[in-house]
Amino acid sequence: MNEVRARIRQRRESGRYDAGVQAALDRPLPGGAPLFTDGLADPLRALPAVMDADPAYDPRSRKRYLGPVITLARRTAIWLLRFWIGDIVERQDRVNRLLYAAIRQQALAPSPLGEARLAAIEEALARRERDENASNLEWRFLAARFSGVEEQIRAQAAPFAALFPKGGRVLDLGSGRGFVLALLRERGLDAYGVDIDGAAVAETRGRGFEVLEADAEAHLRTLADRSLDGIYSAHVAEHVLPGKLVEILRQARRVLKPGAPLVMATPNAATLTVSAHSFYFDPSHRRPIPPELFQFLLEVEGFTGVEVRSFARTERRLREDVPAGPIRENVQLLNETLFGDRDYAVIGRAP
Amino acid sequence: MATVHHFHPTLVPADAISNHVVALHELARRDGRDSRVYAIESTRVLDGGVLPYRRLFRAAQPEDTLVLHYSMGNEVFGQLAKLPARKVLVYHNVTPPEFFSGINPHAALHAQLGRTQLATLAEPVELGVGVSDYNRRELESAGFKRTAVVPLLIDWRAYDVAPDPAVLAQGAATRTMLLFVGRISPHKRQDDLIRLIAYYRACIDPEAQLVLVGSYRDQPQYHGRLRVLAEELGLTGAVTFAGSVSLAALVAYYRSATAFVSLSEHEGFGVPLLEAMRFDLPVVAYDAGAVAETLGDAGVRVKTRDLPEIAELVALIDERPELRASLVAAGRTRLADFATERVEKRTRDVFGL
Repeated sequence: MNEVRARIRQRRESGRYDAGVQAALDRPLPGGAPLFTDGLADPLRALPAVMDADPAYDPRSRKRYLGPVITLARRTAIWLLRFWIGDIVERQDRVNRLLYAAIRQQALAPSPLGEARLAAIEEALARRERDENASNLEWRFLAARFSGVEEQIRAQAAPFAALFPKGGRVLDLGSGRGFVLALLRERGLDAYGVDIDGAAVAETRGRGFEVLEADAEAHLRTLADRSLDGIYSAHVAEHVLPGKLVEILRQARRVLKPGAPLVMATPNAATLTVSAHSFYFDPSHRRPIPPELFQFLLEVEGFTGVEVRSFARTERRLREDVPAGPIRENVQLLNETLFGDRDYAVIGRAP
Repeated sequence: MATVHHFHPTLVPADAISNHVVALHELARRDGRDSRVYAIESTRVLDGGVLPYRRLFRAAQPEDTLVLHYSMGNEVFGQLAKLPARKVLVYHNVTPPEFFSGINPHAALHAQLGRTQLATLAEPVELGVGVSDYNRRELESAGFKRTAVVPLLIDWRAYDVAPDPAVLAQGAATRTMLLFVGRISPHKRQDDLIRLIAYYRACIDPEAQLVLVGSYRDQPQYHGRLRVLAEELGLTGAVTFAGSVSLAALVAYYRSATAFVSLSEHEGFGVPLLEAMRFDLPVVAYDAGAVAETLGDAGVRVKTRDLPEIAELVALIDERPELRASLVAAGRTRLADFATERVEKRTRDVFGL
């Protein structure tokens, strides 16, 4: 069944399954009232037409010789009964209309209790959303104090630019201020960005970059199978919940051409000063992702040749110029654990 | 010697119920019983002839068995129920009136009568036989005390005829031919089949054809509207209303079709589903009424009326020989359950003939 749905998706994307086809599928049976069974599926919409329909009874008889007599007899009977039947029909019609109006009112009128509960749920959700993402925070000032500088961000991305084929279509997922986009463009790649931050998108677009404001998962879902030559995504994974990360990887695998690389960089949970301290400079960070887990996630989603690469170590380190022996070894071990690589990247290739 | 009397209001060629009446009649005769067939209206040629139903009032004896085949309401059933013979009712199901409402008031009225009258027959009838368990359950809720299931008795040997060469030639020239067999009627939902072929031609095979075999005599309004629908969708050349066809032509249609597709919303048994399997045709059918019961593990049943999904499913079966082959094999296996000898034995046991 999944295959069937995928095929329908393809038809839509290829433009074959267009509005015309949809119109054909939805076309009502011409030449009269819609099928009663279809009406039963949507009674409120079907009712008015049925109530206003005139029952067609033809009293004429087509029998030879006797026909005119039968016709006359029927017409006379109808004429004689018209007041009696008319009253009944009129009353029934009023009952029908009242019932229809009552049902419609019931169906359309929001139930006060339900509305109140819905409002309470919506409010609670909004509050939770605000609390979780700190949407009430003065983000401009936070960014000014903690954001990385352009050189650093470019330097981190530089070694990976060579992985993407010249002229290839590459997506920078979470393109931020567009520093990596600039780098990729300099390297002759057809790079575009996607970011959820509207202000950043507007600013980057103003500098002539192709950037879309969208959610990472939602954007990937709009792409056709095997349509990208590479994806670079730095500092996105730690902002999303685990299930969403899995979905992003799954979609990335789908939209990448076979062999095309996916590069995702994130703070290194293995370095204690990162995972216990600097990770929380950004209140929208969800949870640190250990490199072993991230590697596993890529592998289990079908990426091949998955590897972990680390970046520069922190500047601050314990002095290692102590005499050789157990003390120096201990210091080295401590340096590794406390002041190891701040970020790491996982790289995998689409199968 | 006791006689078996069979009655159905109408007997016509190429109709599942009429075929069943004849099959039971012939079975009784082969078993050396005195068997007679009665109808109000008949256009069927039969060994021994079809007798006018009024003869029954004189012919029926207390030791006789009267088999009433029931698929529509008719005042005659009320009269026959008073006859002194032992009475068995074979329930072929009555199409619910809502399918005809607003499109064919005459048929709706008959369907309504069919449903209300059934309950009045529960008392005088000794045994109610459903041709499917779906039908048997309806008998039970209508108040029948003793009920049983005996599938339709189908004489499969009759299908060993040479296929109509003209139809075969037409089939050979068509790459995709979707087939549905059943009278043109709102509950069979041929209108949805037409919408489906519109999708199929737009998205899968622009040359695909839909063939609707089945009489359109009873539902002229619906048939007319179907024609207009096909015309409006630009499908005049893509939809064939074959009408009631000869057995040779029917066999040829089964032999040349790509798949049998049913979107029917009400089936008391579904003989064409089995016929399709008999001719190694994969079946895709909307799960309604007794469809699931008749298909068993064979064929593909769809639970939702999503036309694009059903169309793609058919295309998938068409493109994958191994999928098609497994469906055909399952159909063959299922067919064994309806083998003529097997159903004959069950018929003798249950009817007490």
